[in-house]
Amino acid sequence: MNTLLSILGGVANVVIVLLVAPFFQGVLRKITALIQSRQGPPLLQPYFDLLKLLGKEDIESGESPLMQRFSVYLSLATVLTVACLVPMGFAAPMNAAGDVILLIYLLTLCGICTLLAGLAAGSTYSLLGISREMMTMIALEPLFAVAIVVGAVHTQSFRLDTVLNGSVYASAAFPWSGVIMCGVMLLSFQAFVQRVPFDISEAETEIMEGPLMEYSGPKLALFKYAQMAKLVIYSALFVTLFVPWGAGLMFPLGWLVFWAKVAGLVLLVTVVAATHARYRIDQAIRYFAALLAVALVALVLASYGY
Amino acid sequence: MVAREKLGLLKEKFGPAVQRADMSCDERLFVFVEASALKAVCQYLFRDLNARYVISIGMDDRPFSGKFLVAHDFAFDEDHLLCSVLTHVPPDNPKVDSISDVVPAANWAEREIRDMIGVEPVGHVYPKRLVLPDGWPDGVHPLRKDFAWNQVPEDFDEKREFLFDDPPEGCTVVPFGPFHPTLDEPAHFRLYIEGEMVRGCEYRGFMVHRGIEKLAESVLSYNDIPMMAERICGICGCVHNVAYAQAVESAAAIKPPPRAEYIRTIMLEIERLHSHLLWVGLACHIVGFDTLFMQSWRIREPIMWIAEKISGNRKTYALCVIGGVRWDITTEVKNELRKLLDKLEAEWTPVVAAVSKDKNIQKRTRGVGVADRALVKNMGMVGPVARSAGVDIDCRRDHPYAAYDRLDFEVITEGGCDVWSRVLVRAKEVFESIKIIRQCLEKMEDGPLALTIKDELPVGRLGLSSVEAPRGESHHFVITGENNRPRRWRVRAPTYQNLQGIPAMIKDQQLADMTISLGSIDPCFSCTDRLETIDLKSGATKVWTHEELLKLTRTKKA
Repeated sequence: MNTLLSILGGVANVVIVLLVAPFFQGVLRKITALIQSRQGPPLLQPYFDLLKLLGKEDIESGESPLMQRFSVYLSLATVLTVACLVPMGFAAPMNAAGDVILLIYLLTLCGICTLLAGLAAGSTYSLLGISREMMTMIALEPLFAVAIVVGAVHTQSFRLDTVLNGSVYASAAFPWSGVIMCGVMLLSFQAFVQRVPFDISEAETEIMEGPLMEYSGPKLALFKYAQMAKLVIYSALFVTLFVPWGAGLMFPLGWLVFWAKVAGLVLLVTVVAATHARYRIDQAIRYFAALLAVALVALVLASYGY
Repeated sequence: MVAREKLGLLKEKFGPAVQRADMSCDERLFVFVEASALKAVCQYLFRDLNARYVISIGMDDRPFSGKFLVAHDFAFDEDHLLCSVLTHVPPDNPKVDSISDVVPAANWAEREIRDMIGVEPVGHVYPKRLVLPDGWPDGVHPLRKDFAWNQVPEDFDEKREFLFDDPPEGCTVVPFGPFHPTLDEPAHFRLYIEGEMVRGCEYRGFMVHRGIEKLAESVLSYNDIPMMAERICGICGCVHNVAYAQAVESAAAIKPPPRAEYIRTIMLEIERLHSHLLWVGLACHIVGFDTLFMQSWRIREPIMWIAEKISGNRKTYALCVIGGVRWDITTEVKNELRKLLDKLEAEWTPVVAAVSKDKNIQKRTRGVGVADRALVKNMGMVGPVARSAGVDIDCRRDHPYAAYDRLDFEVITEGGCDVWSRVLVRAKEVFESIKIIRQCLEKMEDGPLALTIKDELPVGRLGLSSVEAPRGESHHFVITGENNRPRRWRVRAPTYQNLQGIPAMIKDQQLADMTISLGSIDPCFSCTDRLETIDLKSGATKVWTHEELLKLTRTKKA
């Protein structure tokens, strides 16, 4: 019974993410348009875009078409697996299936899919894109890991439902480490969801979408879908880790509060993206390195119980 | 008296090598020198008298004087003088000393003379083909008078690939263009990359030659050419239109009526407004700041509407004829224009205030794409690129044309030498343009729009005209001729000089800065590529081969 329930819960999470991800993308585009004094596309446009791309001819191109196809499937599959593990307004459905370490691995795998995609295209620009992506990953991934480990240290647990419940603030003394990590994650959040000013590995005006440059039609649709889902999932992760308040409320209320918080985060991402210019890779890495140093301080504090 | 003074200096130094001189007015000087003294004279002008190099012109003068003609144009900006040093080259085995080692800015122009006219620059520093494709047969020169405008040599091999130089050791080659999202026109840079650093590049351009100069010299007539001239460029077309008309007027000693001069000024400034707003937007787009891109294009849009109201077109105003203009600015348009300028000023002021405080944009543009005073001088760079390096030149003030001598405005300069300074210069120049148009509307007097010219224009006269385009000086050189058309018309768009500085500007900086550095000179490849008689293959896709495309266009024509 329990197994069935957790599988159903996982499927429900996947369906929810697939359903709302294009909508959030639509909200993002509409608000960007308003900031730019444009009318902007209708809120449902991303759904139509995906349908249109899915209906196009499936062209095999690039150095290794098989790997190109594989990396798209892997990318979407990874993102959706993460969706099964993250609580979306309810408790984490597949609680018994994995722990936070698995979560960290899966998030890294998302980035690796981009690398594979770039390798498959094999053009100079996509290779430049993946070298940038790789540098970003090396500097960025530890941040999320630190945030989760801080929570795990406070709660003495690797369980998903324990850690992904505002655990960063669960220390006995004032949770300095949690507050610091919340700031660090906010400052690097644009990079996790690959938006301006940190969309460096795709930078259309510099390296022509980098790893994605050989993608078209259905494969591009799936990649875009994975990116949209990423925005929702990372926002959900952020909310469960750092803004847990109100999650314990009764069913429709707690659920609504959760999605309102996710929407708020998407809004923040939009506003930051619309008011910034893209950083150069060396500037971005220096920025991430500074954040990483701060994150390590937080980790030390956490291990001393703060 | 400045022209006479400079001539005196030349005569004193070079004596009999200075053959004759022509001073049509005090702002123009044409000096004919012996071919053997050409290099020394140019070196003296460029290095000792500190003249700014403008352009070199070659001409097939054999039907008229039996010889080839080579001219180097220089500008004395502080003295308000444009000067041309000309020499005749014998028709058999034509050769002339290259000045590219003492005047590096002449690099392209001399190669172009070699390609198009067939006068060999002896001792050129980099004598590679520039304009003609590698498959073009040797010894065939399309701008010679015995070469028909629609002729294609039989042994032209259009499929032949370009020959590129070898990259330096340890560098990989990144092809940039011919098609790239930030290049709206085809041009090819072969970048030599080490990691993310650019170590050098080779440029192959001239892929969209349209043979405009050849057509002007062989098919069109004086008053057709302005309409063709403005099609050289989609952004600063009116500049070429006015510059051509002024070059012919200066050669034939015609002065257009004052109202026409004011209208020319207004249209040029309207064009500058649209171009500056467009460019600031594009620069922001290149560094990923799309909000300002959208906002500055929104602010720009009403300018296009007023241009349409005046001329019938958002762009390509078809403004000038020789001796005047074709469109009037009515009282209704005047009032509308005044209102528009007020609104523009009110909207642009907060944008400039916001941009100049934005740390984020500065991070991407400060210290990027550096062109310092020395590079500006050596490459003959002009416009906002020069002004951003503190070089205080602006043709509107230095070589006043149209109504600019009766107007009060400032030349904006900055000292940073980088992309950021260029953004500031162009953002602030918008306010100067607004000021200029307001004064024009105030001072414009009633009167005819154009002269009626009954007689034929005199033959064999020389004319120069420099017009400050939004991106820098556009320079036109004209020799009047028979059959109601010029013998030679040479266009030098600002990008022609600015582009030659790009290899030095992008060297040893990040690849990510390449696009904004290139974007910062606001390159216009169609301006640069204006003359030739053939069009190169335009990147045939898998669906359409080049032959099929050709066939398609030809059947449509028929």
